[in-house]
Amino acid sequence: MKIAWFTPFSMQSAIGRASAAIVGELSKHATVDVWHCETSGVRKTPVRTIPFSKALAVDLTDLASYDLVIYNLGNHLPFHREIFHLSRRFPGVCILHDFVMHHFFAAYYLEDLKSPKAYIEAMAKLYGEDGRAVAADALAGKRDRVWETDEVVRYPFFEDAIRGAYGVVAHSHFLAERVAKSYCGPVAYIPLAYDVVKPARPLTRAQLDVPEDGVLIVTVGHVNRNKRTHAVIEALGRIAGAGDRVTYAVVGPCDPAYRTELLELARSRGLERSVRLMGYTPDETLQAYLTHADFCVNLRFPAIEGGSASLIEEMLYGKAVLVTNTGIYRELPDDCVIKISPENEREGLPPALTILIEDADHRQRLGNRAREFAEGEFHPANYAKHLLKFIWEARSAKPLLQLADRLGAQMTELGVQAGMEIVDTVSSEASKMFGGEKGFPQASADKFQR
Amino acid sequence: MKIAVLNNCVPYVWGGAEHLAQALTEKLNEYGHEAMLFRMPFRWQPPGKVVESMLACRLMRLPNVDRAIAFKFPAYYIPHEDKRIWLVHQFRQAYDLWGTEFQDLPDTVEGRQIRAAIMRSDNLSLGQAQRLYTNSGVTSARLKKFNGIDSEVLYPPLFESSHFHCVEYGDYIFYPSRVTASKRQHLVVESMKYVTTPVRLVVAGKEEAPADLEKIKRIIRENRLEERVTLIARFITEQEKAELFSRALGCAYIPYDEDSYGYVTLESFHARKPVITCTDSGGTDVVVKDGKTGFVVPPDPKAIAEAIDRFYADRRSTQAMGEAGFELMQTLRISWEHVIECFTR
Amino acid sequence: MKVIIASCVVPFVEGGATFLVEWLGQAIKSRGHAVETLLFPFSANYTEMLDQMMALRLLDLSQHGDRLIAVRTPSYLLQHPHKILWFIHHHRPAYDLWGTRYQDIPNTPEGICYRDAIHQADNIAFSEARKIFSNSRVVAERLKQFNKVDAEVLLPPLGDPERFHCRSMGDYVLYVSRFTHHKRQWLAIEGMRHTKTPVHLVLAGKADPDSAAYVNDLRSQVEKYGLQSRVSIIDRFVSEQEKIDLFADSLAGIYFPLDEDSYGYPTLEAHHSGKPVITTSDSGGTAELILDGVNGFLTAPDPEAIGQAMDRLYLDRAMASAMGNSGRERIAQLNITWDNVLEKLLG
Repeated sequence: MKIAWFTPFSMQSAIGRASAAIVGELSKHATVDVWHCETSGVRKTPVRTIPFSKALAVDLTDLASYDLVIYNLGNHLPFHREIFHLSRRFPGVCILHDFVMHHFFAAYYLEDLKSPKAYIEAMAKLYGEDGRAVAADALAGKRDRVWETDEVVRYPFFEDAIRGAYGVVAHSHFLAERVAKSYCGPVAYIPLAYDVVKPARPLTRAQLDVPEDGVLIVTVGHVNRNKRTHAVIEALGRIAGAGDRVTYAVVGPCDPAYRTELLELARSRGLERSVRLMGYTPDETLQAYLTHADFCVNLRFPAIEGGSASLIEEMLYGKAVLVTNTGIYRELPDDCVIKISPENEREGLPPALTILIEDADHRQRLGNRAREFAEGEFHPANYAKHLLKFIWEARSAKPLLQLADRLGAQMTELGVQAGMEIVDTVSSEASKMFGGEKGFPQASADKFQR
Repeated sequence: MKIAVLNNCVPYVWGGAEHLAQALTEKLNEYGHEAMLFRMPFRWQPPGKVVESMLACRLMRLPNVDRAIAFKFPAYYIPHEDKRIWLVHQFRQAYDLWGTEFQDLPDTVEGRQIRAAIMRSDNLSLGQAQRLYTNSGVTSARLKKFNGIDSEVLYPPLFESSHFHCVEYGDYIFYPSRVTASKRQHLVVESMKYVTTPVRLVVAGKEEAPADLEKIKRIIRENRLEERVTLIARFITEQEKAELFSRALGCAYIPYDEDSYGYVTLESFHARKPVITCTDSGGTDVVVKDGKTGFVVPPDPKAIAEAIDRFYADRRSTQAMGEAGFELMQTLRISWEHVIECFTR
Repeated sequence: MKVIIASCVVPFVEGGATFLVEWLGQAIKSRGHAVETLLFPFSANYTEMLDQMMALRLLDLSQHGDRLIAVRTPSYLLQHPHKILWFIHHHRPAYDLWGTRYQDIPNTPEGICYRDAIHQADNIAFSEARKIFSNSRVVAERLKQFNKVDAEVLLPPLGDPERFHCRSMGDYVLYVSRFTHHKRQWLAIEGMRHTKTPVHLVLAGKADPDSAAYVNDLRSQVEKYGLQSRVSIIDRFVSEQEKIDLFADSLAGIYFPLDEDSYGYPTLEAHHSGKPVITTSDSGGTAELILDGVNGFLTAPDPEAIGQAMDRLYLDRAMASAMGNSGRERIAQLNITWDNVLEKLLG
């Protein structure tokens, strides 16, 4: 079997890293070619790589030689732009890394196309008059931009990301279920795979300037309000003596305004010596922090991702992790992580932090359990196994999805408009005739339009 | 060449286009090609069925076929890369009949959407054909007016013409046709009241409704035309028709506003007999030229009677016009040879 | 009654039940009913199947005709309140030929999806039919095996059997069939090698460009065995009258295609001409008609046995004649008549 795997593949991309791990395993059972846009700073992989520049430049007959094409999609336009455009020209399976794809599409309509009208129309098409109003008001300055607020989860835009796909992979049950509500085609939940590089000789605690007898708390990754860092600092401020015992390292870049807010907050709580906002950190240092961390904090609210590479990393390092009980985090076993209810964050954080600060055995037990779980669940071999099974399922559904596409295209060519009776007639007849137990993707003049 | 001839089909209904499609298929086979006729069932009530029929045709395939020739909507939607169209009918309800009592499509949102879909896909399908012919100037004009598409007129010939011949220019005018109000045989019968020469009239054909026949019989009775008018009120065979044409003086064919010239005019010319038709008969004016191949008169019994008398009085002129009619068919290339050539080159 | 006969055909390809459809139409018309025969062009390419099946579902015949008789697959997908199937065969590559070299759908998940979709659509159509008939026992069994459907066997008669007659019990056995390898005219020639009497063999069939190589092979075969004076190959167009005459003076019909579902019209033509039929045990449907020793010989597909059968008939014309009569009786016994067909289909 021949698979084309489209992914961001730079060293900065977490998805690229996950891809490398997965593709390594997948290639044991199939021929896999990795297609990528980047020309420099590209990951190494034993699998064949094919660079491409623009979606329009790709010769579709090359793609037709594969049994299936897989597209990795995420919320960051610069990394996924060409991959997305190609997925529209040549349908395949989409691996949807992010639940919220709003930032991607907002940037596409507003910056690439420079068309506020297109953004508003897209919002209207997906989310009705409410969507239209929200978009129009935001652009007119009457309210905050949707993607800068928590409201963004009500207008996720993932529906447009996967339109026309032959199958969708999601990394949480929650996202798989959401997808299944609006997408007609095979959907699978596969736990995200990730690997860790554990340094043979990590930098020492001393080299990190972390006290040997103190408690090191680590948060990894790009930090913004969504990561609730302010809540953590605020909670630490209410724990007596935390300032002397705890080092809280935020290892990763921080939004500038948020950074200022956090520094001010730390100072006002007397934690200016405990809290360190590292900014972008080289791998060696990051790995050292993870090695020495006593526990990790990985809060999210609202949950906008489809999967969390940082969480997997922390668990594979055998660390106890404090998470928000929402989204993918809710699906983790209770004996692996400590879950904070989002409604009860302010009250819940201090006691949870206290237990982890005080009880080393408890931390250890949780951490071991976490590693055990992660090594099974998030192993690339596990991912590959599930994915191969899903590829078979997607290939089995492909002829019917292609039939739906053709019927939709024919109707469009005939001038059929949405809402005409024939659309339902064709849909129900095709479903009855060919649908089988799983039913049939609804053919419609507009739904499967390219 | 392997040729698929495509027509639509309303089961058990067999009209002009059906005869033509069948005839073309047989002639193609006669001329050494392999031809097969396919007929697609077509429903237009309820209106949604029209679009379903269109889509059904789009989804059909013609494997092992070199060329396709289609006659009617929606048969010309069946895909083939070498498609020729001999257009007899579009779905007129969406075009010239829209806005009349015959529009059939409701003037609702859905009805208008269907109409828009038909116009859009017609433009596409008709535009994509390798060659686009129509059966008459009227059809071509409609196509140009509503779809902006140019076409060439290809006149449908008689299926079989060899049995028509001329024995003599006798003493009767011949009108063979289905007896209906729109064919207006009653008008010719009435005109026999006003003829001054000893000419007679023979009307032959099965009536569509008893009332149509009754009307003619009443005119004959009331005007005591029994000696002058022979009424053969049944379906006549080709042989009988050829026989009657061979000894006729001339032919009368005066339908109301028909698209095409009608096969009767051709039959008459093959028998070298001129034709009397009316100014409002429609397509007959393609072949019946006033004073040259017959007479074109107002639809008035006295005017028709005058024309009939002229046939009788000037035999030489009558014969000349009959011959001219035959010549005109050659000039207009109304022949199977021409048709086959158009479709197989 | 108004009857619609519907069937799917690959344009300009022989077979495909064209004779059955034509003769059925004639028979129904001759009984005074109105008939509309609709032939639909159909491509057997699996990638185009589902679209074409949808087309059939969208053509609405429900307001027309009192009966719809659907013949060749997948015309039975047409919707009609009173649908009767006279089922000839499945799209066999998706059914019993799956897993053989005749499987024309790839053995991939996509291919399996097509195959399953065809099965499902067929099953829906079958469930909509008022009654299902098949043209042979073999096909009825396949319907039961693959679609769990009970079909009644309705054997197809010749169009106009009265034209066939017996003039004499001649010297030649007659193989009338399209020249193609699986019809096995070559086996008849092999059989001739083992004859001891001067019996002749006449092979007659439609000549078409695809069969030229095969016919050449047959001629070479005849030459190789020195049978030129005893085997005639007529590979040009043979008119109906010529065929009738050939049968009229033949000794017997010979017909053993490899594993065909139905007994084939040549067997009926032979019997209506009062002649027995030589066939083999692996011919498929001929076994439904030919009872060994009664109305012909059903031998092993082995040249010696075939040669022996030819000799036996040559030497005993009376027996041949009696067997020919038994053939006529067998046809009557099996009710292979249009009266029966019409009673079943229109009853």
